Amino acid sequence: MEEKIMAILNDICGADEGELEPDFDLFEEGILDSFGVISLFVEIEKQLGVKFEPTEVTRDEIKSPALIIEQVLRRA
Amino acid sequence: MIPYDGLLFFYIMALFLVPAVVLGLTNRSLKRYGLLFTVVMAFVVFNTWEKRAVLLAFYLWETALVLAYLRIRKKNESRPLLWLFVLLAAVPLIITKLGGIIPTFNFLHLLGVSYMTFRAVQVLIETYDGLITEVKLFDFSYFLLFFPSIGSGPIDRYRRFNDDLKETPGRDKYIELLKTGIWKLMWGALFNFVLSSLIYSAWLAPLPDSGFLPTVSYMYGYTFFLFFNFAGYSLMAIGTSYILGVNTPENFNMPFLSRDMKDFWSRWHISLSTWMRDYVYTRYVAAALKGEWYKERRTASYIGYVITMITMGLWHGLSLRYIVYGIYHGILMCINDVLDTRWKRFRKLKRENLPSVLLVFITFHLFSFGLLIFSGRLF
Repeated sequence: MEEKIMAILNDICGADEGELEPDFDLFEEGILDSFGVISLFVEIEKQLGVKFEPTEVTRDEIKSPALIIEQVLRRA
Repeated sequence: MIPYDGLLFFYIMALFLVPAVVLGLTNRSLKRYGLLFTVVMAFVVFNTWEKRAVLLAFYLWETALVLAYLRIRKKNESRPLLWLFVLLAAVPLIITKLGGIIPTFNFLHLLGVSYMTFRAVQVLIETYDGLITEVKLFDFSYFLLFFPSIGSGPIDRYRRFNDDLKETPGRDKYIELLKTGIWKLMWGALFNFVLSSLIYSAWLAPLPDSGFLPTVSYMYGYTFFLFFNFAGYSLMAIGTSYILGVNTPENFNMPFLSRDMKDFWSRWHISLSTWMRDYVYTRYVAAALKGEWYKERRTASYIGYVITMITMGLWHGLSLRYIVYGIYHGILMCINDVLDTRWKRFRKLKRENLPSVLLVFITFHLFSFGLLIFSGRLF
């Protein structure tokens, strides 16, 4: 599951495998923006069946790869 | 009477804030008094029976819609039904805006209709999302009518607001809130009554009505005027909220330091731009991506930006200048996005010293020109 989430994230951010550190601040670094967040939610729902409503989590709750994984696993 | 305008207003508000301060300092909940404060202040500001009747009718209409939708949503997940309720909730706002251009519709005058509508619509949408499953009449009434930010925001969110209501701050935390609140009120007053008034009377008012150089000067002057005026109002609204134990969100964060337009919208009228992002842009883009409407995924985002910015423009009023203002910002956001995604150096430039200074300069002029369109001086 974690690998799948990372694969989706890498795909959306245009990053290579292992490039995104777990605690990287994706918003601060300008890697993830509003469009990135929506794409991420849509892909996670499509591929993993885990649904996020647009305002369900704040940016602070999904700002790093580690936090994103945690949020998805909590709902899976 | 207009909120945050004139000594009499501040005198009356200060008087009615005293009980809130006493409650806060004695470890008691501010929630019930907060609603009473809101009702009393609304009674004072809506100073004719006609205005009060319109406010009451608006309140009943929005409350009935929200409570009805909450019941219906439990059985019916239809999206068109949500849009119907959103449209119905926006009817008073639409009539008000139409009244600005068509005399037949010019009968509804309600201070705060724009901001209160945002509050109600937000509750409807999050009810549809399943994030709001219960609405207490007291909590919703307080949220919908919350006086400090009724006239010009910031736009709060129901769940966040409600979390504040559940909590009694306690003496120590309240002292902090009170200090910050008073401090923000003072800053807001300085921004609004001193700086923005000064810019208006010494800079904008003496300028001739036409001519290239006066218009350029007007563009700069109006940008600073609007910032101090609006940021001042926001600070006063936030300060008053704090005294009532409500952490109304910030609305401005040094917008003159923005390095690009995306950065600008995360610093200017933040509560409006995030509202638009969460309830317009995101919805459209998510639907487009799920439905695979466009070959190129980013196209959804570009169209989303333009739709969102035009909506924002129209919310300000149904005039050509607001529509053009919306289109202008929609296009700027698209260009910004192309630079972000196609030109890898752009991200780096934003972090380097000298280029970032240049970017701040360019961004400042881009949004100043936008405000010149917004001001109505051009057309």
